[in-house]
Amino acid sequence: MVRHYKMKGHKKRKRDKVQYDKEENGEEEYVEKSVPREGGAEEEEDEENMNEKKRRAEELANELPSLPIVLADDQKNANKPGVIFILEKASLEVAKVGKNYQLLNSDKHANFLRRNGRNPADYRPDIAHQAILMILDSTLNKSGRMKALYVKTEKGVLFEIKPHVRIPRTFDRFSGIMLQLLQKLSITAVGKREKLLQAIQNPVTKYLPINSRKIGFSHSSQKLVDMQDYVAAVGNEMNLVFVVGAMAHGKIDVDYVEDFISISDYPLSAAFCISRICNAVERSWRVL
Amino acid sequence: MAKKSSSDGTKTKKNKKKSSKRSGPNAVAMKQKAPQPNPFETIWSRRKFDILGKKRKGEQRRIGLARSLAIEKRKKTLLKEYEQSGKSSVFLDKRIGEQNELLGEFDKAIMRSQRERQLKLSKKSKYNLSDGEEDELEIQGGLFPEKDDFDDEIPFDGDEDVDDGSTGNGKKSDILGELNFTAVQNAQQTGLAGQETRRKSKKEVMEEIISKSKFFKAEKAKDKEENEQLVDQLDQEFTSLVQSEALLSLTQPNKMNALRALVNKSSSKNEEKKHDTSPALDKTATRLEKPDSYDKLVSEMALDMRARPSDRTKSAEEIAQEEKERLEQLEEERQKRMVAADELSDEEPDGSDDNDASSKQFRSLSGDDLGDSFSHDEDKKTKLGWIQQILQRENAEDLGSEDAASTEESGGSEDDSEEDSDEDDDEHDKTHSVKDWEQSDDDKIDTNLQDDEDSDGDRVERKKKEQEKKGKQMNLSDTEGQKAIAKQQTVQQGELPYTIEAPKNLEEFTSLVENCSDDQIVEAIRRIRAFNAIHVAAENRKKMQVFYGVLLQYFAVLASKKPLNFKLLNLLVKPLMEMSAEIPYFAAICARQRLLHTRAQFSEDIKTTGKSCWPSLKTIFLLRLWSMVFPCSDFRHVVMTPAILLMCEYLMRCQVVSGRDIVVGSFLCSMVLSVTKQSRKLCPEALTFIRTLLLAAFDKIQGSADDHQLHHLMEIKTLKPLLCIKSSVKEINHLDFLMLIDLPEDSPHFNSDNFRASVIAAVAETLKGFVNLYEGFNSFPEIFLPISKVLHKLAGQHRMPEMLKDKLRDVAQFIEKKADEHHVLRQPLQMRKQKPVPIKMLNPKFEDNFVKGRDYDPDRERAERRKLKKLLKREAKGAARELRKDNYFLFEVKEKDKKLLEDERAENYGKVRAFLQEQEHAFKSGQLGKGRKRRR
Repeated sequence: MVRHYKMKGHKKRKRDKVQYDKEENGEEEYVEKSVPREGGAEEEEDEENMNEKKRRAEELANELPSLPIVLADDQKNANKPGVIFILEKASLEVAKVGKNYQLLNSDKHANFLRRNGRNPADYRPDIAHQAILMILDSTLNKSGRMKALYVKTEKGVLFEIKPHVRIPRTFDRFSGIMLQLLQKLSITAVGKREKLLQAIQNPVTKYLPINSRKIGFSHSSQKLVDMQDYVAAVGNEMNLVFVVGAMAHGKIDVDYVEDFISISDYPLSAAFCISRICNAVERSWRVL
Repeated sequence: MAKKSSSDGTKTKKNKKKSSKRSGPNAVAMKQKAPQPNPFETIWSRRKFDILGKKRKGEQRRIGLARSLAIEKRKKTLLKEYEQSGKSSVFLDKRIGEQNELLGEFDKAIMRSQRERQLKLSKKSKYNLSDGEEDELEIQGGLFPEKDDFDDEIPFDGDEDVDDGSTGNGKKSDILGELNFTAVQNAQQTGLAGQETRRKSKKEVMEEIISKSKFFKAEKAKDKEENEQLVDQLDQEFTSLVQSEALLSLTQPNKMNALRALVNKSSSKNEEKKHDTSPALDKTATRLEKPDSYDKLVSEMALDMRARPSDRTKSAEEIAQEEKERLEQLEEERQKRMVAADELSDEEPDGSDDNDASSKQFRSLSGDDLGDSFSHDEDKKTKLGWIQQILQRENAEDLGSEDAASTEESGGSEDDSEEDSDEDDDEHDKTHSVKDWEQSDDDKIDTNLQDDEDSDGDRVERKKKEQEKKGKQMNLSDTEGQKAIAKQQTVQQGELPYTIEAPKNLEEFTSLVENCSDDQIVEAIRRIRAFNAIHVAAENRKKMQVFYGVLLQYFAVLASKKPLNFKLLNLLVKPLMEMSAEIPYFAAICARQRLLHTRAQFSEDIKTTGKSCWPSLKTIFLLRLWSMVFPCSDFRHVVMTPAILLMCEYLMRCQVVSGRDIVVGSFLCSMVLSVTKQSRKLCPEALTFIRTLLLAAFDKIQGSADDHQLHHLMEIKTLKPLLCIKSSVKEINHLDFLMLIDLPEDSPHFNSDNFRASVIAAVAETLKGFVNLYEGFNSFPEIFLPISKVLHKLAGQHRMPEMLKDKLRDVAQFIEKKADEHHVLRQPLQMRKQKPVPIKMLNPKFEDNFVKGRDYDPDRERAERRKLKKLLKREAKGAARELRKDNYFLFEVKEKDKKLLEDERAENYGKVRAFLQEQEHAFKSGQLGKGRKRRR
C-alpha cells in the first residue's frame, strides 16, 4: 500500500528534529550561506550595543563628571574559548511509584527500590542537583564563558542544559523539573519558546567543539595534579571539556576523554570538585 | 466504502478491543488448538524503555496473533457480506434452536420434540390428523405469521452490515423470548430439569425487577403509614398529659404557657378541646404564679445596674482649668483662714486645733509646694492690717486682669503697686553696675520685642511714666516707700498668694519675688503658669508670652548678678524649658532677638581694640539655656544655628589676652562639643582654638611651617606663652568655671602653674571628645594629625607633670590610631570601571506535579478543544487504518476470485482448444473420431 501524505509530513518533521540535533555537525554546510547575513546582524547588534554603552557611559558621566569611566567589555567573552561540563552517570531515573511517576530518590523511595531489587544508595539525584547548581552559579557562567552543560543519566539519556537557566534551588522543585524533562524531553523558558533543557541524541561527542581538550576526573587516576597549574598549562586558546561523575559510587568510563586526572588526594564530592575546577579556570582566565 | 467509514470505525474499534482482550492466555490457548500454528503469531511486541514500577500488561502484545485474529474476524463478517452482496435472496435457517449457538445438538433435539408434543396437546391440534412434516411447517407459520421473506432484512450490499447484526440479534432475542415463554409454561407442567437450568431471558428479568420494585414501594408506603399513626398517637397522648394535673405539679408554672403554646401550634385539632379545658388551666396558672428563685434571679439581672462609662480622659485645657480652679479655691480658703485665724486664736485653743487640722489638711492637699510649711506657721502670726492691704492690692490686680483692655485706672493702681518694687529694682541696678551694659540694653530690647509682639503701644509710654514716677518718688517719699517695702517683704516672706496674675514686666516680677527663697520663686512661677495657663483662656497666651519675656529677662539679670545665685538659675531652667515648649514660636523669636543684639554688640566691640570682647557670663548662660531648650541636632534651626555660629565666632575672633579669656574660651569649646555631639557638625573654630591653647603652652613661640595652615584663619594669633608651665605642679584640679569667672582679670591665680596645668588637662579632655565625635569623618587625619604633633611636642617638655604628659600622649596616640585606621581604608585614585553585566538568566517553565499527557494550558476552553481535536484525529486515523485493512482484505479476496475465474477460463480454454485440436487433427488425418480412428 501506498504511504499517505500525512505520514510523509510526519517523517519530514522528524527529519527536521534530527537536523537540529546534528546542527553542530552540519554546520559547515550552511555556514557559507548564512555568513553574510549573520555578519550583518552582528554589526547591527554591535551598533546597538555601542549606542547602549554610550548612553550608559553618559549617564554615569552625568552622575560624576570629574572621573572618566572605563567600560567593561564583556561582549568579547562570547568569542573567547569557553568551558563545557559533562556530568556522567547522573542518577536521574523516573519510575512509577504508586499511581504517578516520580524521580527516584534514596530518601523517599527506599522501600520501593528495595522491593524492586535495587540498591537505594545508588539513587542520588541530589548529587546531580548540587553539581548543576555549582556549575551554573559560578562566576565563570555569569561571565558568559560557560558554553554548555550536558548531563548523561545512568540510563543513558543525554540532555543539554543551557547555561542561562535558573535551575530551581530546592530539591523538590528540581526533581519536578527533571521528572518533566525526562517525560516530555524538553523544557521551555517561561514566556518564550526557547528550549532551556532538552533531551538530545547520543553520543555527546558530536556536540563538542573541535579544538577542545576533554578532561575526565577520577580519584582513582594516578595522575594527581594541581588544577591551577594544569589549566594554565593547557593554554588560553583551547576549549575545555570537563567530564565529572555525578554518581554516588564508581568511576566514569567514557572513551572520548583524553586525559584522566585526579585533583586531590582525597575523594571529593562532585559539587566541590566542580567548584575547584571553576576556581582554577576563573583564576587562570582572570574572571573575578 | 467511504460512506461506511464512521460506522465501520466504531465497529473496527470494537473488534480491536475484543482482540486485545483475547490476547490473554485464553486466546492463546484457543488458538493453539488450531492445526498448524502460524510462526508469526509467536512474535511479541518489543518494549522500548524499561520503567521501574510500570505495569507490563497493556504494553506487551503479540502482533502476529492480533493480525491473524483480525483476519479471521474479517472472514466472518466482511467476507460474508461480500459474498452476499451479489445475491438477491438469502437462506435463513429457522429451525428451532439453530440460531442459538450455546445449545448443543442434543438440547436442540429436545426442544424440537418438546414443541411437537405441546402442539399435539393443544386443543386446536386435537382434531388435526397428525402428520409429522406438516406439523413442523404449521408451527413455523403459526409462530412467525408476520415474518415473510419480504420483511426479512437481508443485506443486499455491504452498506447495512451493522444493521444486519443488530436486527439479527433482535430477531434472535425475540425468538428466544417466545421459546422461553413457552418453556416456562411447560416447565410447570412437565418439570423438565433442562429447562430450569436455562438462563433467564431479558423479559423475565425485567418482570422480576418490576415486581420487586412494586413490592418495595408497597412496603415503604406501609411503613410511612405506620409512622404517621404512631406520631398521631404520641401527639394525642402528649396533649392529654399537658392538660392533666400531673405535669403541672411537676413543671414550673410559667413554662406551662410555653408548653401550651407549643401544643397549640402543633395541633389545630386539639384547639377545640383546649378551649374547654383552658379556664381550668388558667386557674391553676394564677394559683401557681408564685415567683420561684430562678425567676427572681432573672428579674434581678434585668434590674441590675448597667456598667457606667467611666470619666473620659481630660484634655489639657480641662486639666489646666481644674488646676486654676483649685488654686482659686485654695486662695479663698487661705484668705478665710487668715481672717478667722486671729479670731479663733484669740478665742480658744480648740479653734486653733481646728485650724491646725485644716492647715494640715491643706498641707496634704498641696504637697508639691515646697516652702509652704514654713510660711504657714508664720501665717498665723501676721496681722490683719497687712493682710487687708495685700488683699486690696490683689483685688485691684484681679480687676485689672479681668478687664482685658487695661484702663487708666487699673493701670494707675498697678503703677502704685509697682512703685515699691521698682524702687528696689532700681537699687539693685545701682548696686550692680555700670559694667552691666548688656542688662540695660537687654531690657530695652525686651520691651521692644514685647511691643512687636503685643502691639499695644501704651507699654512704652507707661514705662516712661513709671520711670518718671520712680524718679519723683525716689525724691519724695523715701520713708513711705521704705515702709511699703518692709511690709511687702514681710508679707512675701510670709506667704505666696495662690492666684498670681502674670507679671507684665520685670519690675512687677522682681517685686513679686523680691525676698522669696529660691524654692518660693519657683513655686510662684509655677502658680503663675497654672493660673494663667494657655489652655484655660485664649488671652492667656499673650500674658504668658509677656511673662516668658519677663522670665527670660529675669534669668539674664540673675546671671549677671555679682554674687551668682547658681542654684536659682538651675531651678529657673525647668520652667523656662517648659514654657518654651508651650510657646515655641515666641521663644524662638526672643532668642533670635537676643542673639541678634549680642552679635551686634560683639561686632561693635571687636572694632575697638584693647577691649575684651569675650562673652559675659550672662551670654554664656543664655547660650547654654538655648542649647537645652532647642534641639541642637537639627540641620538648620532658627535659634541653634545662629547660636553655634556666634559661639564659633567668639572662638575665632576674640583675642586671648588673659587667663580669664582662656577659661571662657575653653568653656565655649566644651559647649560647642556638647552642642555638636549629636549632629556631628564640624566646628573648625573650636579645634583651632584648642590648638592655639596648646601652642600657648610652649615656652617659646614655634612658628613652624605647618602651623600656618591653620593659623591663617585666625585673625588674631595669641602666641604669648600664657600656659607655659614654669615650675613643677603638684596636683591637677578640675576647673571650677564659676569660681574662675568671678575672679578679676589680673588675679594671681591665672598665673599659677596649677591653673595652667588644669587648663591643659581640660583642653585635652575636650580634644578627646572632639576626636571621638569626628572619627567618622574622611578628613579626620588631616584635621587632627597636626594637633597630635603639637601634643607630642608638648608632652616632651621637661617641666610638664607626668600625669599631664600621660594624658597628652594618650590623646595623641588615640588620634594617631584613628588616623591610621582611616589611612588604611583610603584607596588610591583609580579609573571608575563599569561593572561587568552577568548573563541574563531565564526561568524554566515546569509544573509541580507533572503528569504526562495532561494539558497544562491555563485556558480551559482551548485545552478542551485541543483534546477533542486530538481525539478526532485519533479516531480518524483508526478508521482509516481499519478501512485500509478491509480494503486490503477484500482486494485479496477479489484477487482470489479473479484467479479462480481465470483458472477456470484457462481450463475451459484449454479444453476447448484441445477439443478443437483434436478435431483438426482428426480432420487432417481423415478420420472423424477417435473410435473410428481406433477402429481404423
